[in-house]
Amino acid sequence: MDELFADVPKKARIGRLGVAAGRDERDVVAEVDKLLERNRPLSRFASFLGGRLSARYVPAAVDAMLSRSEFYSAYTPYQAEASQGMLRALFEFQSLWVEMTGLDVANASLYDGATAAGEALLFARRLHEGHRFLVPESLPWEEKSVLRNYASGPGLTVEEIPFDARTGRLDLEYIRRAVASKDVFGVLADVPNGFGHVDEGVADLKSTVGDVPLVISADPLSLSVLEPPGNYGADVVVGEGQGFGIAPSFGGPLLGLFACRREHVRSAPGRIVGATLDADGQRAYALTLVTREQHIRRSRATSNICTNQSLMALAFVVYASVVGPKGLASLQTTLAEKARTLATSLAGIDGLLAPRFDAPYLGEFTVELTRGTAAEFLDRLRRRKVLGGHSLADPRPGAPATPERILVAATEFVGEREIAKYARAAKAAVGAVGRSS
Amino acid sequence: MTFRQARYDEPSIWDLGSGRAGDLPAAVAGIPERLRRKAPVRWPELSEPEVVRHFTRLSQMNFGIDTSTYPLGSCTMKYNPKVSEMLARRRGAAEMHPYQPEATAQGALELLWRLEKLLAKVTGLPEVSLQAAAGAHGEYAALLMVRAYFRDKGESATRTEVLLPDTAHGTNPASASMAGFTAREIPSKDGCVDVDALRAAVSNRTACFMLTNPNTAGLFESDILEIAEVVHKVGGMLYYDGANLNAILGITNPGRMGFDVAHLNLHKTFATPHGGGGPGAGVLAAGETLGPYLPVPRISKNGRRFRLDYDRPKSIGKIKTGYGNFGLDVRAYAFALSHGEEGLKHVARRSVLNSNYTAARLGKLLPRPFRTLVKHEFVLSGAPLKERGVRTLDLAKRLLDEGVHAPTVYFPTLVEESIMVELPETESKRELDAFVAAFERAVGDTAENLHAAPRSLAVRRVDEVRAAREPLLSWKDLRDAGAKAETP
Repeated sequence: MDELFADVPKKARIGRLGVAAGRDERDVVAEVDKLLERNRPLSRFASFLGGRLSARYVPAAVDAMLSRSEFYSAYTPYQAEASQGMLRALFEFQSLWVEMTGLDVANASLYDGATAAGEALLFARRLHEGHRFLVPESLPWEEKSVLRNYASGPGLTVEEIPFDARTGRLDLEYIRRAVASKDVFGVLADVPNGFGHVDEGVADLKSTVGDVPLVISADPLSLSVLEPPGNYGADVVVGEGQGFGIAPSFGGPLLGLFACRREHVRSAPGRIVGATLDADGQRAYALTLVTREQHIRRSRATSNICTNQSLMALAFVVYASVVGPKGLASLQTTLAEKARTLATSLAGIDGLLAPRFDAPYLGEFTVELTRGTAAEFLDRLRRRKVLGGHSLADPRPGAPATPERILVAATEFVGEREIAKYARAAKAAVGAVGRSS
Repeated sequence: MTFRQARYDEPSIWDLGSGRAGDLPAAVAGIPERLRRKAPVRWPELSEPEVVRHFTRLSQMNFGIDTSTYPLGSCTMKYNPKVSEMLARRRGAAEMHPYQPEATAQGALELLWRLEKLLAKVTGLPEVSLQAAAGAHGEYAALLMVRAYFRDKGESATRTEVLLPDTAHGTNPASASMAGFTAREIPSKDGCVDVDALRAAVSNRTACFMLTNPNTAGLFESDILEIAEVVHKVGGMLYYDGANLNAILGITNPGRMGFDVAHLNLHKTFATPHGGGGPGAGVLAAGETLGPYLPVPRISKNGRRFRLDYDRPKSIGKIKTGYGNFGLDVRAYAFALSHGEEGLKHVARRSVLNSNYTAARLGKLLPRPFRTLVKHEFVLSGAPLKERGVRTLDLAKRLLDEGVHAPTVYFPTLVEESIMVELPETESKRELDAFVAAFERAVGDTAENLHAAPRSLAVRRVDEVRAAREPLLSWKDLRDAGAKAETP
């Protein structure tokens, strides 16, 4: 054995790792379970948590397909002939995202919605000159931080578009003026926006930005009932695909979605599966347009991505196929109705503005507290077994102060009882703040 | 082994539907007319059994680690323990939202904290973050940290270069570019870093030298301590690409070798499944210099309570939503627990033994370009096959007919017609011998048969040139192409 490591210099060797001795499977299960049982999963609460990540029912068939080890234990399909199953599943996934977005080409996945937006930023820069990338001020702080990181490499800046105080809608006049500077290389808007609302103004964005690439970050479920962004001028559509058949798993693995126009495909990041023929002239599939990628193009690649989220892409397409287009639309409609019921129940409570913005919404909206902090409010709700949403504030010390806003989501797991419970808990929580202040 | 892959004439999923467009989706109250979808998403309405049968059939036309030896070099395709799959699906893991209050996620935070501490020991670097989604994502984040560090030192204008050996994974130079650096390749000597060439290349422009050790030729960079000295002498940072950590678990570690920052791939060394291309999980580990720059939040422990710590003023911020691929962290933690001190050391010993054994046997069939002692993987050259008009690609396809996956081919580019083989510790001697036998049959086969391979899979040789020349990238493209073909 020592001979096998004769090439490792003595001075570089270590004696021990310093970790505990190995254990048998039963002990490992007991140990990990002990930790996991210390968690209180969503099902123990009336949960209204949402944002880019959703707690949605995952049909058993989805996990059954993900559990096929021919899929989950495979590597990237470098050898096309041995990997037709995964390649076809990814081709079907790409096809679905194309149909949902109204664009021409989708890639085989990126890490998550935020990094997909980051890749869209770099992609937009390849299509258009300039240094400024515009994003809504209402974009979740995490995404803004991710975008600033993506922008920092090539020395670009991410600039925030103000919103109308009453409706939360983007200030189109601001965008028009910025674009006129000729230094804007891309504009991103999200549907629904970071406040959960649908901004009708997105349909006017393309006419506002002209030839500057328009990136739409869309919730896939919303696209079951909303106009495909490609139809109103989006050049890129990105999104977070976790809500389609993927458990939230404390934030990962997630699924980054990316689609663009045909003429820009050679600037696109990530793996792409194409249809071709085999030596017998039969339909076959392979990874294609690989000269964009890091293993060929190295420092001039469109992206550094290698490992992506293929298995999650499989979950996405299986979920959509089991639920079906009608089922997706009806799910979105149901969630919207629940959100409306919730908003109505909260509307009269003194100390809350619910919804804060006067704009249409689907399954989520923003609540603003007029007294007390979001942290206190949510903590009081938690003690009554209600997870009342999440604060929209950037938690980093020194971050600019923002109003106490909470994003609240209706899920499949809440009904009238849970909604009533939320309303009671909310009333008590703001009442308690009133008394203590 | 006689091998026949399943071959279904399985239609595409859209051809399983009735072809009738469904009804318009029900309108959501308040949504303006011009933003309403006018027709449902064009996708079939199918029953659950139709969907399940479709994807099950597809799965049977795919190699996985459970069905096949998968000797992809630098990919560490080891067995994925079933217990990890089971644990990651527990409610306490799967049904957790990242925005849950900390008080309701103490177990998740403690698991992350414990895994970080364990990986700090494995890497010899004290500060660990699990936020990166994959190896390349970790590289990119680490380089952003390096940039931030030099910005704080007032050297961002001068520290513009990232150096890397010509054997580096493609992600290294790509990450360097994305992070705003100029990537500069250092030529290798006998498959390893040429220290004199490195010494000549480093300067006060050097931000970082990125190195994989053992490298992609399967060789341990024995000059590593000297390399570290050369890089540090000019004030540069040394970056460890952990793709090949499997070979050195418990033998040495990046910290001891002098690296300042590292990424690991949990989907390689810690046996989380690779999902047919992903998800992965990238670990970021840093020493004291770069530790403060790691992404937020960090996990901190206060008494018995664990919390998400955002108070890191030097942090680069966020690199993705959430705290990393938690589902994979659970799997990796179970792997580490079950292996423990001796088990992890065994991983390195056994994978290096597997590699040297197989290299010695295959070295009788094809030339091995560098020194004979290798680590977890080795490189062969398929160049002699060219005399018979056979290429490495043909050999790879012929191996598929044997029911084993092909090695990594045409990488590293340093070697003509290269074949890079990695057989991790979970491959038994019997499997190694079977692989060698398959390789012998493949090399010994006629040129005609090699060119015609594969014959035993769901499809014959796939025309990748055609795929790139006439891109058909979705159902929509197939429809358009079909319509074009039907137009006289």
